[in-house]
Amino acid sequence: MAALTRIDVHHHFVPPAYKAEMNKKRPMQPCMQTWTIQNSIDDMDKAGTQISLVSITLPGLYFGHVEEARKLSRLCNDYGMEMIRNHPGRFGLFAAIPWPDVEGSLKEVEYALDTLKADGICLYTSYGDRWLGHSDFNPLFEELNRRKAIAYVHPHAAACCENLIPEVNESIIEYGTDTTRAINSMIFTGASARYPNIQWIWSHAGGTMPFLIERMVNLAKIPQVAAKLPNRLMPELKRFYYDTAQASNGVALGALKAVAGASQIVFGTDYPYRLSIEHVEGLAGAGLSTEEMIGIDHRNALRLLPNLAKLIKA
Amino acid sequence: MAAPHRIDVHHHFVPQIYKDALITLGSACPAPGYQAPIANWSLERSLDQMDEAGIASAIVSVTTPGIHFGDDGAARKLARQCNEAGARMVADRPQRFGLFAALPLPDIDASLNEIAYALDELKADGIGLYTSYEAGGVKFLGDPAFAPLLSELDRRKALVFVHPTSCVCCSDLQPGIADAIIEYGTDTTRTIASLVFGGAAARFPHIRYIFCHAGGTMPYLIQRFVDFSGRDKAAMNAAMPNGMLHELTRFHYDLAQTAHPGSVGALRNIIPLSQILFGTDYPYGFGCADQVTRIAACGFTAAELASVDRSNALRLLPRFGTLEDRLQRPARRDEHVVEPATPSAAPARGVPTPAARDRAATEKT
Repeated sequence: MAALTRIDVHHHFVPPAYKAEMNKKRPMQPCMQTWTIQNSIDDMDKAGTQISLVSITLPGLYFGHVEEARKLSRLCNDYGMEMIRNHPGRFGLFAAIPWPDVEGSLKEVEYALDTLKADGICLYTSYGDRWLGHSDFNPLFEELNRRKAIAYVHPHAAACCENLIPEVNESIIEYGTDTTRAINSMIFTGASARYPNIQWIWSHAGGTMPFLIERMVNLAKIPQVAAKLPNRLMPELKRFYYDTAQASNGVALGALKAVAGASQIVFGTDYPYRLSIEHVEGLAGAGLSTEEMIGIDHRNALRLLPNLAKLIKA
Repeated sequence: MAAPHRIDVHHHFVPQIYKDALITLGSACPAPGYQAPIANWSLERSLDQMDEAGIASAIVSVTTPGIHFGDDGAARKLARQCNEAGARMVADRPQRFGLFAALPLPDIDASLNEIAYALDELKADGIGLYTSYEAGGVKFLGDPAFAPLLSELDRRKALVFVHPTSCVCCSDLQPGIADAIIEYGTDTTRTIASLVFGGAAARFPHIRYIFCHAGGTMPYLIQRFVDFSGRDKAAMNAAMPNGMLHELTRFHYDLAQTAHPGSVGALRNIIPLSQILFGTDYPYGFGCADQVTRIAACGFTAAELASVDRSNALRLLPRFGTLEDRLQRPARRDEHVVEPATPSAAPARGVPTPAARDRAATEKT
């Protein structure tokens, strides 16, 4: 087995009790049905991944019922912690919260970070018609900011944009776009500057944000917009982290580097939707320098998660 | 500055009739409405901008929100009036201006009439379409509803300039973030996906497309496109018998509002230089000369810039060629595709290849 040097920040787990609940609503996809802890570990071993920070993927936790969302979040987080305990050094957790239930989410943040010692919180790019910069999120962001927490953000197809093109799956365009919307929301509402201690990880190389950078630059030049950006645009974009899931290629990463810098790129795989080894192979062909590769493999992530340094023997 | 030589394929004109229409009809339209760049546009300002930026010729088109505000009759009339106004601009200065004619879509029959009028009578240089239309729900250009239109454009081997609009799905999603920032680019990506994956791009191979803004966000999402194209093989082969990349690399892409080394580098990693065109989006943006400066910082060599600024567009619009142009050896389609955009950008990696895994079993729905 190859040396395990990678930290995967975008890796999904499927607690059996969660799967059972989801299957009652609409059967989960094949790769969700067949997920097991051992399959995750096998996939990680093949790709040289030491540790995966696991999170709950779509359809998420909230289906209009606060009590259900609280229960699902708790059972997922407890299951994640059991995985961590049973497989030391292989898993970390970005905990689920029952947002938009504010009270339940704040309680779950406390439970996850204080009791379970989770590594961060998993958010989605939008909830209904609210993207992450919306003032609804202020109480949550106050708390995450106070705790200097990691906020890992996973996309989905926003409510506006389901089933737009008959021939094209939503994941092709809409997931990336929703990440871009959430980043723009964080920046241009001023939330990113107002909560400077939250450490953001955006999925999929920032969605499509790096490609639309000229639009953002131009928007930020408008005086009344600039007034809301005390740190200016680029420093905010350059403090965020971006994972490589489904974007481990030179086309996207070249543009991302030009916007955010290679130091902000972290390894992510989207397992079990994609295999980790595909990302390793993609990165190898992406025109990255050795230093940049080491950064993406683990060094950049260790700035966010310094406690993991003892696990990486590179 | 050198003698004007650039050809701007993305340049808007705003005849008075269109300004009036936006004020009277535009209130029904959610965005972007009657903005200062539209209100302040004049022929003289366009010419001044072109002179300042070394633009020899601009192919003008009507911008978003387009022609149709819910009334077919009004749309027919407005398209005709805009096209005649554009044709007068061209007649007055045939080497300075060309015209991408407007259509009263989604009214297909009226649009077929307008295509004939614009191309046969007015001798327009091409047709301007928008990325999506409201027609009993949102429809992108690959939708079967548009097949008769595309069939006619294909028969005529027409040059088709596809301008984004904020899709009906996605207007005013977030206060303070104009639709132009994210939604325009995304809608371009959607209509490219609709044309390619829906099969219309391959079925109508003679339409010569220009997509705005470096393809919206398509280049950045290329991995998703490639992976998706590797899924249902039978369906994909039927829709794209020549493969997805054949279609993507035959389209043309302008650089309006995307002249950043990262974006241009990503575009160039998948699209041959021969397909990349100079465009300004005037009167939007910060002026035509500003766009020239921005493109100059994107790592093109002098020879590459000459292709982007002029010779690539001349292959689509030969009537703007001068004697000097004709004395030069015609460039081959793929002649300049050698180097990466900038030394700092990733070397040309080409397009990611789909891995062997069964995508259908793993893709999120």
